[in-house]
Amino acid sequence: MVLKSLSDLRKIVAGGPMRKLVLAAAQDQHSLGAVIRAWKDNIIEPILIGDKEGIQNICASNNYDIEGLRIIHEPDMDMAVEMSVKMVSNKQADVLMKGKIGTSTLLKHVLNKEWGLRTGSLLSHFALFEVDTYHKVIAVTDVAMNIAPTLKDKISIINNSVSCLTKLGYVMPKVAVLGAVEMVNESMEATLDAALLSKMNQRDQIKNCIIDGPLAFDNAVSLESAQHKGIRSEVAGDTDLLLMPDIEVGNVLYKSLVFFAKAKVAAVILGARVPIVLTSRSDSEQAKYDSILLSAAASK
Amino acid sequence: MICSLDQLVEKVLSCKKKQKIAVASAQDDNTISAIYRAVNEGFAEGILVGDLSSINETCRKKDIDPSRFSIIGTESDTEAARLAVHLAKTGDADIIMKGLVGTDIFLRAVIDKEKGLLIPGAALAYVGAVEIPSYHKLLFLTDLAVIPFPDMNQKIQMAEYSLEIARTFGIEKPKIALVGASEKVSPHFPNTADYAQMCKMAAEGKFGDCIMDGPLDLFLACDKHSPEIKGVRTPVNGDADILLFPSLESSNPFYKSLMLFAGGEIAGLIRGTTKPVIVMSRSESEKSKYYCIAMSCLMAQN
Repeated sequence: MVLKSLSDLRKIVAGGPMRKLVLAAAQDQHSLGAVIRAWKDNIIEPILIGDKEGIQNICASNNYDIEGLRIIHEPDMDMAVEMSVKMVSNKQADVLMKGKIGTSTLLKHVLNKEWGLRTGSLLSHFALFEVDTYHKVIAVTDVAMNIAPTLKDKISIINNSVSCLTKLGYVMPKVAVLGAVEMVNESMEATLDAALLSKMNQRDQIKNCIIDGPLAFDNAVSLESAQHKGIRSEVAGDTDLLLMPDIEVGNVLYKSLVFFAKAKVAAVILGARVPIVLTSRSDSEQAKYDSILLSAAASK
Repeated sequence: MICSLDQLVEKVLSCKKKQKIAVASAQDDNTISAIYRAVNEGFAEGILVGDLSSINETCRKKDIDPSRFSIIGTESDTEAARLAVHLAKTGDADIIMKGLVGTDIFLRAVIDKEKGLLIPGAALAYVGAVEIPSYHKLLFLTDLAVIPFPDMNQKIQMAEYSLEIARTFGIEKPKIALVGASEKVSPHFPNTADYAQMCKMAAEGKFGDCIMDGPLDLFLACDKHSPEIKGVRTPVNGDADILLFPSLESSNPFYKSLMLFAGGEIAGLIRGTTKPVIVMSRSESEKSKYYCIAMSCLMAQN
């Protein structure tokens, strides 16, 4: 299966048992609305950990009906995060979401050696974009977590993403490794890594996907552009997952898609025991909701 | 002020001057059609350099009267590129344009130390002007084609080229955003140190009348709501005229995403030369090539 739109994620979630989402330091204006909406839509069962009064005040001032909602009172933010992470490591929750705390605080607890959520894999950011002008949803990684991934990191990032896409129903997703050009160029390291990743994929060192690269953005998403350049590729024009060379490139592309192309986006952190939802203030309400939806779908 | 690519054409037409454009290896459908349109509208003269029979054949196929151009036959792409450059060097052409010749061969002729058009000490850089339905004005972008990882000196020149073009478009005090992954100067991102220094230079007047700020992410640069949401104060304030990119790796997918996903249209040219140089990929449409010609004519007129 291939996602045509982000709302297709609903079908995946509807098929399985209700996922429990724990919101760490839940007294957060920016995430509560989306969590409660997802709860009302039967996408997740939330557990809110944080300052109970703060949570109730936000809900009251926004007219959220929280009858029946599970709230665990823990006014200390650091403790609230620790409790949330432990809840996940004790398998009492399926998804972790960041509330009113900094990303680094959350990750510190996630990476805790004793009771954290490490799997041995690198943590990476994975985003799905729905753009009117592309024939399906396109996944992009990593636009927010790893600053300048090495070849080894890129392999982990691909594996995290492919494993997630597989959970979403994809079979052999097509992975394009992005470059500024589609030729291997010794002065652009990203193109060298791309060539290596493609070959490693051919040799089954990276499995369950079809990798090609380097591909310039137009070749990756437009068959016409690829044909114009005479590129023969199974991936060109039909990319499911676009691997970024680094965060500088990923950040620009992500924001270009959201701001200029009016894309809908859902994003999640992969590589921990469960999907982690990190939304920021600048994300739209819909993006936060869709990210929760994605995390529920990816938590199989 | 020129606010759209069609207004750019109007402006060029209103100047009532003709620029002579020498095209290297002109035997390309979209290139000949674009030049023909500019010739017909009266702001350009075409000098088509390349394989005579192919040029005539292309004209016939496109139902274009070849006598509207000057045509010069050459034996090879290299010769065509050199001759087009020579015409510009000697003043017989005001602009040169790449046709069906490879970019490598073409640019090699352009940057030749003795016979080329490179301004001594200058970096070549591509400046594009993009019209995007979701943005309230034209957005200038640099570098889109030449320097994979510009150093500080090259970034300074990229800034100067794009500011000059923005001013020629009538923007008196252009706002230039130096694009990064965030607004923070960080040792993880060496580009951001260059940016900080450039902003200091801008404050000292090095770049003339302009507003420069960076690093800025794309939202802070182009989204009017973003500075308030993020609580970041920047004089660019979501209203950038120019985006300067840290690498081709970031600028290339950016502008291509605008073209393919956001309905963008682009015109552009190469700076760092004594005369405007047009380099477009073969796959670009006639319309894009036409806008490039108009933009180069505007720069040549001024």
